[in-house]
This record gives sequence, structure tokens and C-alpha cells, in this order.
Amino acid sequence: MASLSEEVLLVVKRVRQRKQDGTLYLMAERLAWGPEGKDRFTVSHLYADIRCQKISPDGKAKIQLQLVLHTGESTTFHFANESTALKDRDVAKELLQQLLPKFKKKANKELEEKNRMLQEDPVLFQLYKDLVVSQVISAEEFWANRLSLNSVEHSLSNNNKQEVGISAAFLADIRPQTDGCNGLRYNLTTDIIESIFRTYPTVKQKYAENVPHNMTEKEFWTRFFQSHYFHRDRINTGLQDIFSECAKEDEKGLKSMVTQGVKNPMVDLLSLEDKTLDEGYGTATVPTTSNSSNKSLRENSNSAIIKRFNHHSAMVLAAGLRKRHQILTSLFVAFQVKLQEAIEYDDLQGDSGRKTISLNLKKSDRYSHGPIPLQSQHYSTSQDIINSISIIQHEMRSYKPRLTQVMSSSAASSAITALSPGGVLMQGGGQQTINQLVPTDVQSELKHLYTAAGELLRHFWSCFPISTPFLEEKVVKMKSNLEKFQVMKLRPFQEKIQRQYLSTNVSSVPFFAFPVIFFFSVDNFIS
Amino acid sequence: MKLNIEGLLVYFPYDYIYPEQYSYMLELKRTLDAKGHGVLEMPSGTGKTISLLSLIVAYQKAYPLEVTKLVYCSRTVPEIEKVVEELRKLMDYYAKQTGAKNDFLALALSSRKNLCIHPEVSSLRFGKEVDGKCHSLTASYIRAQHHSNPSQPVCQFYEQFDAVGRQVPIPPGIYNLDDLKDFGRRKGWCPYFLARYAILHANIVVYSYHYLLDPKIADLVSKELTKKSVVVFDEAHNIDNVCIDSMSVNITRRTLDRCQTNVETLQNTISRIKETDAAKLREEYRRLVEGLKEANVARETDMYLSNPVLPDEILQEAVPGSIRTAEHFVGFIKRFLEYLKARLRIHHVVQESAPQFLKDIYEKVCIDRKPLRFCAERLRSLLRTLEIADIADFSAITLISHFATLVSTYSKGFTIIIEPFEDRTPTIANPVLHFSCMDPSIAIKPVFGRFQSVIITSGTLSPLDIYPRILDFHPVTTASFTMTLARTCLCPLIVGRGNDQVAMTSKFETREDFAVIRNYGNLLLEMSAIVPDGIVAFFTSYIYMENIVASWYEQGILENIQRNKLIFIETQDAAETSMALEKYQEACENGRGAILLSVARGKVSEGIDFVHHFGRAVIMFGVPYVYTQSRILKARLEYLRDQFQIRENDFLTFDAMRHAAQCVGRAIRGKTDYGLMIFADKRYARADKRGKLPRWIQEHLTDGSLNLTIDETVQLAKHFLRQMAQPFRQEDQLGLSLLTLEQLQSEDMLQKIAQIAQQA
Repeated sequence: MASLSEEVLLVVKRVRQRKQDGTLYLMAERLAWGPEGKDRFTVSHLYADIRCQKISPDGKAKIQLQLVLHTGESTTFHFANESTALKDRDVAKELLQQLLPKFKKKANKELEEKNRMLQEDPVLFQLYKDLVVSQVISAEEFWANRLSLNSVEHSLSNNNKQEVGISAAFLADIRPQTDGCNGLRYNLTTDIIESIFRTYPTVKQKYAENVPHNMTEKEFWTRFFQSHYFHRDRINTGLQDIFSECAKEDEKGLKSMVTQGVKNPMVDLLSLEDKTLDEGYGTATVPTTSNSSNKSLRENSNSAIIKRFNHHSAMVLAAGLRKRHQILTSLFVAFQVKLQEAIEYDDLQGDSGRKTISLNLKKSDRYSHGPIPLQSQHYSTSQDIINSISIIQHEMRSYKPRLTQVMSSSAASSAITALSPGGVLMQGGGQQTINQLVPTDVQSELKHLYTAAGELLRHFWSCFPISTPFLEEKVVKMKSNLEKFQVMKLRPFQEKIQRQYLSTNVSSVPFFAFPVIFFFSVDNFIS
Repeated sequence: MKLNIEGLLVYFPYDYIYPEQYSYMLELKRTLDAKGHGVLEMPSGTGKTISLLSLIVAYQKAYPLEVTKLVYCSRTVPEIEKVVEELRKLMDYYAKQTGAKNDFLALALSSRKNLCIHPEVSSLRFGKEVDGKCHSLTASYIRAQHHSNPSQPVCQFYEQFDAVGRQVPIPPGIYNLDDLKDFGRRKGWCPYFLARYAILHANIVVYSYHYLLDPKIADLVSKELTKKSVVVFDEAHNIDNVCIDSMSVNITRRTLDRCQTNVETLQNTISRIKETDAAKLREEYRRLVEGLKEANVARETDMYLSNPVLPDEILQEAVPGSIRTAEHFVGFIKRFLEYLKARLRIHHVVQESAPQFLKDIYEKVCIDRKPLRFCAERLRSLLRTLEIADIADFSAITLISHFATLVSTYSKGFTIIIEPFEDRTPTIANPVLHFSCMDPSIAIKPVFGRFQSVIITSGTLSPLDIYPRILDFHPVTTASFTMTLARTCLCPLIVGRGNDQVAMTSKFETREDFAVIRNYGNLLLEMSAIVPDGIVAFFTSYIYMENIVASWYEQGILENIQRNKLIFIETQDAAETSMALEKYQEACENGRGAILLSVARGKVSEGIDFVHHFGRAVIMFGVPYVYTQSRILKARLEYLRDQFQIRENDFLTFDAMRHAAQCVGRAIRGKTDYGLMIFADKRYARADKRGKLPRWIQEHLTDGSLNLTIDETVQLAKHFLRQMAQPFRQEDQLGLSLLTLEQLQSEDMLQKIAQIAQQA
């Protein structure tokens, strides 16, 4: 058994799958299950194929773990060991939880990328259907050089992958639900956790410090939701709360942000006023020196909320911008620019040469029309139409039949016969209308075949010069692929065409046969 | 383009012009011709500043003997810098068109904090510290000491400036704050003192209101400005409050305590000096006998802007004998201090007039009115004589002396209110003596009296007749201009009801109603879903905002709003708010969109613009009435009623509406900008409120947008935003709200323009 050489991370016995007892193995790259007494796995999933895991709720009789794959299939394991079932399941779950994200990203990204490419490019999709679905070449072969090719192009268009921002309301999205027995349930997803960590780095730090040595993950989040930290209107007083430190850190962060001051002097309220009144002058009520003592508790909590909102928004904003490059313009220049901006009236300016950033659209027609099936349509703008109408009108107006220079009636009638179907001048009509003659489905099939053949040939030619044994092997394989393609696709098509159209026009056959001829040349080349 | 404004050639640094700008210049020219004052209301964001500058500069060039100087007063430092930049643009245009070299000197003046280049001093963060430190390096006796003792530190930049700076005039040009600093660094001169000196012969001076309105500063900085100046107060909708603030004094127990220590220091210094240098004190005494004659002479020759704190009569007399010697004066101050302390030991509110106060002080501690009037002058002289290094330490005693002078000088226009505790916390004793000015005309009177033309202008001055009344002057022109628009780029909506038909209002009785708060929340939530980029919401007061935010939080409304936009909230801490503001702009900038919750009358509403995507909608929650229970306000209202025949309610509404208009006006700048203006209070629909909005907003309030529900508002707003989002090109505007020179010269356009200005 080849898989034995893999590193086995966890073995859980007495796990049922499809009512069959067996053993669950968690290995470095995959998860496997084998029925009892047999030395082969009947279930084996690469971690990369698993989309997510689900567990049965606490308190249910059956303790289960379900794996949902990217394909949509799912496998359910039932932990049957009475005494330790729950523990077994949790151990497996925890381990999976750590393992899955590692593979997930890679797998997801690739899958998504392939999916996206297929969806965006109907020609490619057709090619994929022709070549992969009909098993001319395998999926890996199909993607092998396409993906890298594409990712290069992709990375050129936007150098780094756009980072997903954080919703400002992510905390609000964690709606607590009552579980019916005097408790609250919070549903956390990895996205929310990610958001919390990114927005509040102190919480992440706490998490790293405490989980899993001091408490379990669940306990950590329970405490988080219980803490004053989460409920921003409460003033944190409890010292035993592990998050009180976070609150303090935040306070510190906020303070440092405030003391740093603002970069834009236009919004700096402190230096807005040129000459403030000295203390004691003015009608405004004197600010009382005793701040917190005579403020009611409610007022205090109100201002705490306000502070926290400001902080929260600032953090969310910062989390979204963290990766951005710092713009290194000097303060002075920035201020000058701001000033100039502030006094500029662009509509009063003669040449309103406004510096606009043009949209960088890859497919501009999609932007303006929305996704539509690819159709070649010739649009004439309304301007064109109007122009041509006016031209015609103009011509008509100035049209004068020159009655003195008309043809003789016999010449005219002979010209008409010559031009009617069957006439002398209408003989070659069949040749010109080949694309009307051949039904569209045949045309499109031809087109598909053509692209498919092109694709295969691309693969084939990419092997030259044959410098490595691997390439040599590939050339041979590609040749067989080409032959397979010829047998499976081209021949039937050719026969079909011959059957149907041979009679009508022989001149089109060379055109249909073009790929075939090309193949022969390839064959000759190889041999 | 070159314009012909009733025979005056005006260079306008743009190729196109808004019709209202032309109209504005016409009115302005007429005002200057008549050598009178003017009140001009022009919508925000229609290029008021450049019109003002273009016309006045042209006027100065055409009639150099009639108008020698332009004094442009604005409110905030960024505003000042903007004005100077616009001026620079104009001057560049002049240079390009005429080919002549610019011979104008224009400069901005700001406090030491913004101009200091001394490496140590300029690193200080607060204006007061900078002032104090600067003073300790540049005071005359410090410099005298430096002569005898070179180890005494002085400011090199000031020394340099003092040595050569006054002889060599600063070359003509446009000097913004940074340019002044650059120039100072190059020459090694102190930019602040250079600027203060240079304003005397500059053609254009741009500085803040305080340099003209606050008697304490005006006396130092602006008193020698020429009479043939044109003074412009931009953003002047709040000018009455600036005047009042500069003349009012508050005295707390803490002030008195600090004053006590000041007095002790003075006493010690006096006795020490007496032992070492008695001649100095004798010299001072002699000077005081001579009286303030010098000052008097100067004023007679009409060189100085008079200081209202120092009325004319004082100048003709010598300082009264009872406070002429230093000890006597300190004794006098001590007595006055004790009296004030006694007055603060009360348990009920006292309100009295200045004469009542003087009578009482005479009866209780035998202090006469006359020596009180000289208090401020006497103290200043004493501090100079005693060579007190850090004036900042003596702010308390200076305050008291100002109070003494003011209370004995003005029998009218002021009130004294002594409150034993704050209304909100009746259990905590915190006695305050408010000496409150109720008549803004007192502080501004010297300005109107002295200068040939004073222009008061802003985007929100409606109703126009009220300013001449409360500032007590007679304008030759009062005009309000509308905004000509090719597309209606502002959309004022009055939301009066929630979808549940419950009236929406910040009226005191109902403002804490659950339904009202919820409806306000729903309005914001709905708007956050449809308005792109930034939304600014203003509340009537800080406390109200706190309460609403808390209940929105409890009701989960804020969380739902967060799904659409980030939320930033103004706090009472200016630094914190600055940060929130910056983040707000960042969030608007990067496309996330944000909401700023702010307070009318707050710092944000007064000084920050929310142009273009920084404010696509402004929501005004409630009518921003001033806190009417304050005794100071009540006294002021009473005074207004008795003196100016302005009814309390009229004034309160006027005040509320100007702040509301100010808040919503922040969102529009120029005709390419657009914004929703949502007034969320059913009371706005009433004629008396609506009628007090500026004309350019009123015009767009149709009957169909008066008492909307939230749903209706959303529909209208959606429609508006969709329309506005369409591309808007210059061609669309041309001939309607944007004119070329040819269009401007056509006959019917001139007729149309004549209708833009509405005389009050």
C-alpha cells in the first residue's frame, strides 16, 4: 500500500461510514477511511478537495462529522466509540481545522481561477468540452501551460491580488441567537474571525497567546463575547477580563493617533483658529475642570460609545489600507496641492483640462452593456443612419432622369434576363454563398474543430525542440492525441460533410479537409 | 478676461465668469464709489473671494489715492491661506496680461505660532506657549540685559530684523505664511515682526478678524492702518458673536486664586526693585503724571485705530494719584480682588448692570470709578517697569484689570451675572462672574468709524436687514445674490415626518421621544444606503447628539448604518475630532463612504468644507436653536429688544437659521458640485423659518418638498442623485450660468444680471 509511506497524523478507530465500522486516518495531505479488517481505503479525500467540514450539534445522539467536497458530494463519519466519541470527533475536527485552510487557499484559488477562465471565455469553454470532456487529453494537460500563461497575463494587469475589505458592520453580523435555555449562541465564520483579527490586532495577539495552551478556541470566543470589550457601551473595570488589556491597548492606540495629529492642515481643528481668545474672555461657558467626577455614568458611557465608534471605523479603514504603499510626498507639497485644489474652479477655467483617471477596463463592452452572449453585430450609430438618410435624400432631390440617354428596350430586356437566376451573369452564385449554403450548426462545429485542432497542435509544437526525455515522451503522447482526435472527431465530421454536401459543391471540400492535411504533414514530420 | 465694470477695467483671472460674480462686482464697485459700507450675501462656492479681490485690486490700481489698502479679514488659517493663493493667481494674471512687473505688496499675517522660525520656540505646540516664549526672548528689557550680559538668550531672528529689517522694505510680491517664513529664513529676520511691520505699507493685508475686532490685539497690530482702507469681513455671518466674545470676561474662583498669586509676585518684585533700583519706579511715576498724552496726540492726528477699552477721555487725563505709585496700585488691586471674592461667595444668582456694580463697589470698599478705568493701562505700565519676563503667567491679573476698565467705562451694553453653580449640577459650587457684552456694535464701532469702506459678506447673511441693526451702522448697499444654475445642483428637502407619520422635530418637549429618535435614525439609515461617498449630519447640540447616538446604538440602527458606511463622530476634544475628520475624508476618498456626525455651532460646522464627494448630503437634525435657558442669552435678548426693537423670537430664529444654513451650505462649492440638503424638522416648513434661509436656498424649496416623509425623501433624493451623476460639461452651463466675455456684453444678459442682485 503506497499510502503507508505517508505521514499519519491521527488515527481514530471505530468510526462508521455508511453503517460500516472502520478506521479514520488523517494524513499529511489527505484524509482516508478504511473498513475494519481490510487493508485498503474505501474513502480517500485530498484535503484540497474538501470545501468544509460540518459537525453535528452538541447534545445530539449521533456524533458525526461531515465533509463537504468542492464537487458538492459529502461524506459523513459517525464516531461510534461510546465513551470517547465526542473527544474523538473534536480531536479530528481540530486537526482538520488546522489542516484545511492550508490546502484550501491553494485549491480554491486554482479552482476559482479555472472556473473564472472558463466562464469568461466561451471559446475556451468549448475547447475544454471538445478536448477534455470527450477525453482527448486529460484536464491536467489541458491546463498545464494555459494556467501559467494566463496567470502571467493576469498578474500583469493587476500586479497584486486585490485585498478584500472588511465590512464595517462585521460585529453586527454576529447576531446572537437564543438557544432556548437561557444562553446565547454566536455564529462565527472564518471570515468574521479574520475580520476581527485584522481590525483588532490586539485580539489576535491575545488569541495567539492564549489559544490553545490556556483555553480552547471556543472558550476564547465565549469570553470575547462576554467581555466588556465587545460591548462597547460598558466601561471596562474588571481586571480579570483578558480583554481589558486590549481595551487599554486600543485606548493607547487611539491616543497615539490623536497625538500624532493630522497630516492635512485643512482639517486640523487645533490650528484652524488663528488667535483663540485667552482664557477668561468670551461668552462661552467656561469648561469645568472637573471632568469625570460630575459627569453622570450615562454620559460617560455615551462618550465611550462615541470614542469606540471612531476607533472602530478608523481601524476598519486602516485594515483595508494596511497593504497600500505609503505615499511619500512631503507635507508641504501635499498642503500646497490641497490649497490649489481648494481655490480651483474648474468650470471657470478655459480649458478644463481636468486630470481624470480613465477606467482601466479589460472588456469595455461588458461594462456598458452588461454580460451578453458573444455575437458579432455590426452597429451603425444613429449618426451614421441620419447621415446616410440625408445623403440619400439629397441625391433624390437632385435626381433627374435623363430621358434622352436611355437604353433601347431590347438591350434592357436582355440585361434583365442575364441578371435573373439562371441567367449568364448569375452562374457562379453558388460559390459565393457557401456560408449561406452550409447550416450554422455545421459551421460552428467546424469552427470548434478548428480551434481544438489548433490547441492540440499548440501543445504539440510547444514540445520542440525536444531537449529532455520528458518532452520526448510528451511529443509521442501528443501525437497519439492528435491521431485520436483525428479518428474520433475529424473523420466522423468529414464523413458527415461528404455524405451531405459532396453532391452540391466539391470546391468546399479542400477547405473542410484543411486540418486533415495538416495532420498528415505532422505525421510525416514525426516519422 | 478683462471686464468693464461701470468704467473700471477689471482683470479677472479666468476665461469664464459666473453672472452673479459680475453682479457682485457691480454692487461692490458702487459701494466703493460711495465710500460707504456694504452688506453682500453671495452663495457659498460661487467665487466670492476672487470677485472681491479682482474688483478691489482693480480699484486700487485705478484710483491709488482713493483706496490705498485692502484689509481682508477671514476666520481661519486655511481660509487666510486660500485668500492669499487666490490673490497670487490674480497677480500672476495681471503680470501675464500687462507684462508689467507686479508692484503690489500683499501678505498674510497670523499669530507667532504660524510664523515663528526660531528652532526652539516654533517647536512648541500651543499658541500661548509660543507667545510667552517669544516674549521672553524679545522683550525690550531682556534685550537691554543682553547688552550688558551676552549670556542672556535673545532671539537672533528678531535682533537681525530689528537691526536692518525696518530700513529695507520687503520687495513687492505675494507673501503667504510659508513665503514669509522662507523670506525670513533667507534673510535671517523674524517673519512675525516683519509681517507686523510690513502691513503698515502693504497694499493688501489678509488676517484674522481678531486683529481688527479684539481691542486687546487690534491696539497692538492694527492701530496704524490707514484710513483709506477697504476692510472686508469674509464669512461674516458670525461677526456679532466675535465682537461680543472679544469684549466679554468670565471670572471664576480659580481666576481669583491665580490673581492672588500674581499680586503677591508683584509685591515681592516691587519691594526687591525698591531696594536695588528705586530710580526706575520714580521714572515710571513721572511718566504717569505726564499722562497718556502721547497716545492722545497720536489719536488726534488720526493715525490710530481707537481702542474701545481705552476711551478718549482717559487719554486726556493723568493716571489718578491713588494708583500712581506701584505699592498703592497693588494695594488697590488687592482691595478689588477681595471685593470680587466676596461677590463670588453667594448662593443665588445675581444679575446687575455696570452702574449698579460700581455703586456697590463704592459703598463696600470705597473704590472709585475713575481709578478703575485706568486699571488696564496702569497694570501694563507696571509690568513693563518691573520687567516681568513671562506675561502669560500674569494672564489672571490682566484679565481682572481689563474687567475693571471695561466695567467702569461702559454703562450700557454690558451686564454682570454672578452664578453660584452650573445649572446642570446645582450641588457643586462653582461660582462664575460673567461680565457679558450684549452689544456687538461696541467692538466694531471703531472699525466702521475709521475706515472708508467696510464690506460684510458671506454665503448666509439672511435676513439682510438684521446685521446693520445689530452692528449699528448704515450700509450704502445691501444685496443678496442668487445662484444661476444650469442644473439645480442643490436639493433642499424638508423632512417633517417619519414613515409612521410621527412628526419629526427637535422641539424640546418631544426630542427625547422614542419615535422621534428612531425616525431620525431611519432617515440616516435610508440616506446611507442611497447617497454615494460622504454624508454629514449635524445635531443641535453635543449632548443631544450623545444621547441619540447612544440610543441608536441600543436600537441597532448604527450597526445597520455601518453596513453601508463607516461612522465618525465629532467629540468635544478637538484633536480627536481632527483625527476623525481626516479618517472621514480618507474613507470618502477611497470609495468606502462615510458618515460624519457633527454638531451645529461646533468647530466642524464653522470651519470645514465638505465639497464634492466629501459631502454629497448634509442632514440637519432639528433646528439649531441656541441654548435658551442661559441667563447671558436672556440678558442679550432683552437688550436687543429694548435697544434695537428686535423681538426675542425673531432673533432666536434668525440665529438658528443662519447656523442651519451655514451647516448645509458647507456641501456646495461651485456649480459642478452637487449636494442634498436635508432639513429634518417639521418646523422648517413654516414660513417664518423658511423665510430666513438665504435666498439661494429658498429658491429651490418648492412646495412639494416641504413636509416629506422619509420614503418620499428617499424617492426625491434618488431621483436627484441619479440626475446629478450624469456627466456635466462646460457646454451645458455656457450662456446660462457661465459666461464668456461676448456673452457678458450682450444686452439681454446684462438685463438678466441686473435681476440677480436683490436689494434688501
